[in-house]
Amino acid sequence: MINKSVFTALSLVFLCTALSAQEKIKEVVTSNYNRNSVSMVCVQRGDSYDSQVSSAVRSFSLGDKYDINNITTKSVRLDKVRSESAYQTEIDGIVNRVGFAREILASIFNRDSNGMMDDKTVRYRGNYDAKDQDVINARASRVGTEALGDLGHGLVSGSYIVLTDFSKISRDVDTRGNVTWSTNAQAFVYQIGMDRDALNDFYEQCWIYDEDDQATRSAKRLAFQNLDIPMVPVAQANATGASSSVEAAANMCIRELITKLENRIPAWEVAVAVIGKRPLRAKIGTKEGLKNGDRYRAYSYTEDRGGNLKSVARGYLRATEISSNTGMAIGETEPSKFYQISGLANIDEGWTIKQTNDWKVGVLAGLKAGGLGGTALGVDIDYLMNVSNVGTMSYLFLTLGLDVTSGNGNYLPVQFGLGFAYGFHLTRFLEIAPYAAIGLEHMGLSVTDSSDDRFTRESALILEPGVRVAANVAYPLQVFGKIYYDVLTIQGPLYKMYNANLAVPHSSGAGVEFGVKWTF
Amino acid sequence: MIALTLLMTFSAVSANAQNKDRRKSFKSWDNYEITTEKVGVDGTKFVKVWGFGKTVDAATMAAKENAVHACIFRGLPGSATAMSTPPICPNPNTLETHEDYFQTFFAAGGPYLAYVSMTTDGVPSGTDRRKVKGGYKVGIYVQVMYDNLKRKLEADGVARKLSSGF
Repeated sequence: MINKSVFTALSLVFLCTALSAQEKIKEVVTSNYNRNSVSMVCVQRGDSYDSQVSSAVRSFSLGDKYDINNITTKSVRLDKVRSESAYQTEIDGIVNRVGFAREILASIFNRDSNGMMDDKTVRYRGNYDAKDQDVINARASRVGTEALGDLGHGLVSGSYIVLTDFSKISRDVDTRGNVTWSTNAQAFVYQIGMDRDALNDFYEQCWIYDEDDQATRSAKRLAFQNLDIPMVPVAQANATGASSSVEAAANMCIRELITKLENRIPAWEVAVAVIGKRPLRAKIGTKEGLKNGDRYRAYSYTEDRGGNLKSVARGYLRATEISSNTGMAIGETEPSKFYQISGLANIDEGWTIKQTNDWKVGVLAGLKAGGLGGTALGVDIDYLMNVSNVGTMSYLFLTLGLDVTSGNGNYLPVQFGLGFAYGFHLTRFLEIAPYAAIGLEHMGLSVTDSSDDRFTRESALILEPGVRVAANVAYPLQVFGKIYYDVLTIQGPLYKMYNANLAVPHSSGAGVEFGVKWTF
Repeated sequence: MIALTLLMTFSAVSANAQNKDRRKSFKSWDNYEITTEKVGVDGTKFVKVWGFGKTVDAATMAAKENAVHACIFRGLPGSATAMSTPPICPNPNTLETHEDYFQTFFAAGGPYLAYVSMTTDGVPSGTDRRKVKGGYKVGIYVQVMYDNLKRKLEADGVARKLSSGF
């Protein structure tokens, strides 16, 4: 009986390992990145919010990373109340009815009302997308650099539409009369289902030449109208946003949706080879929408005994100095610079780096001792503002501390503040960040006092200089330690009274904190 | 004196072993991949070729050797955009007949380098740079000065001139 169980367990382990291995072989990350073209479409619900959300979608800028296909259908209608979310099947039905593929082709090939088309956009995009290697290859071949525009034909299959639907739009008014609009949003992404053969068929059947007679022209126009090219669903994402207007909240959602979609659609993730070390350099820049602090992941390649190619993740890096490459490549593109932030091995020339978006937000949770007094739970949220070539990093952070030992039901000391930290990397594993924070310690729950300045009277101003040391455990997980000095400055009258009632009154003093950090 | 004798003996054995290795590698020198990328500019062939070596640099050099080797002995395969190219020396016995010539021709830093230029942008990268057992396998783009190479081999009497058959 035991033998049978052991055998079954071993078989399962073996099967899982084999399946996992197969999966790994399939997931080979490559550096074959080409520009994609996108059309944004708004899903309308037939209510008063339609104009505002449509305006948000229309005005949203995708940046330099994507080409825009200017299709005629900017919005579609879903007959469903705004309080309910849209389902994929409902959006699929709409997409199939509209015929987006035809509109995309008409946009890319500048199709006019007579059905005449040209390849100006395609050739421009081909030239614009060409990398230095393409230019060098073209120079080495007889066709020459004139043929770079032909690369644009391969970009047609990288055409997408993003349908954005907003639901559960609500309005909240606080006690001071401030209005906040919040909304949920969903994005549904479809890719044109057009391979090389389908594109060749399209050229053959629908392309009208000057020498074509009227009958041929009519037949080709009809063929275009009857084109049956599918739009294939490739990804979906959700987001929520809140702001002072519906449009601003919707805009916030779209930004979040695009960030999420870039992590879900492999073709949208920029991938490129490292061309140099000290500092790490790669030929991408503003053309790919690269910004300071953007996170990339490095991969090297191996072959197993069977000759199967495998990509091996080797660590993360962040963009530091961004090159302006928004021109046609001539074989001498200026590279952007990067700083490695994790990984046991030094990232080497020739390895591939691939875009891996994050929010640049770190959440630190730890236990504080000392400082103003007592033992407190501490939570910091930091935002990475800037990364330099030598690995110095600027952070803006919010800090929150809850004294769990000094307080009682009536007097609960809570500290919160805002700070700035400047991190130095002695190695990529270790960051030392001096910081300074300013904040308040609030104490008391005097519910009977409803005066406007109650909060001020129950608070004290704190200044906190300190040093934070963070070490990588398994990125994005880090452990950190802090040593700091809390300076208790201006104190409200009620604060003074509550503080005096504590078993150990709070006062200026040095403290330490230990905990973990996770970067999102 | 004893030390000098030992040193000379060691050097002789080492050189002999190297030559042996070289001869051995000549005989098994067919295990590489090469593809024609596009039609090269006049008198050249534009190919992508793979090489193996203990380091990336060694693998890159091996790839260059392979490109020239293919032009001389194997010929270049056709592709969607280019016709195939026959070898300069189609006679399978050429290598054995002119072994000493090719030992020199393909020696480290040898004359073959004058007929091949790497056109890869920077170092071999991405999936063209693979860590394999015992070293690296790299794929590089190269331009082979095919017509010049052919003229050189004809002038040295290794390849037959087209007119020599008439």
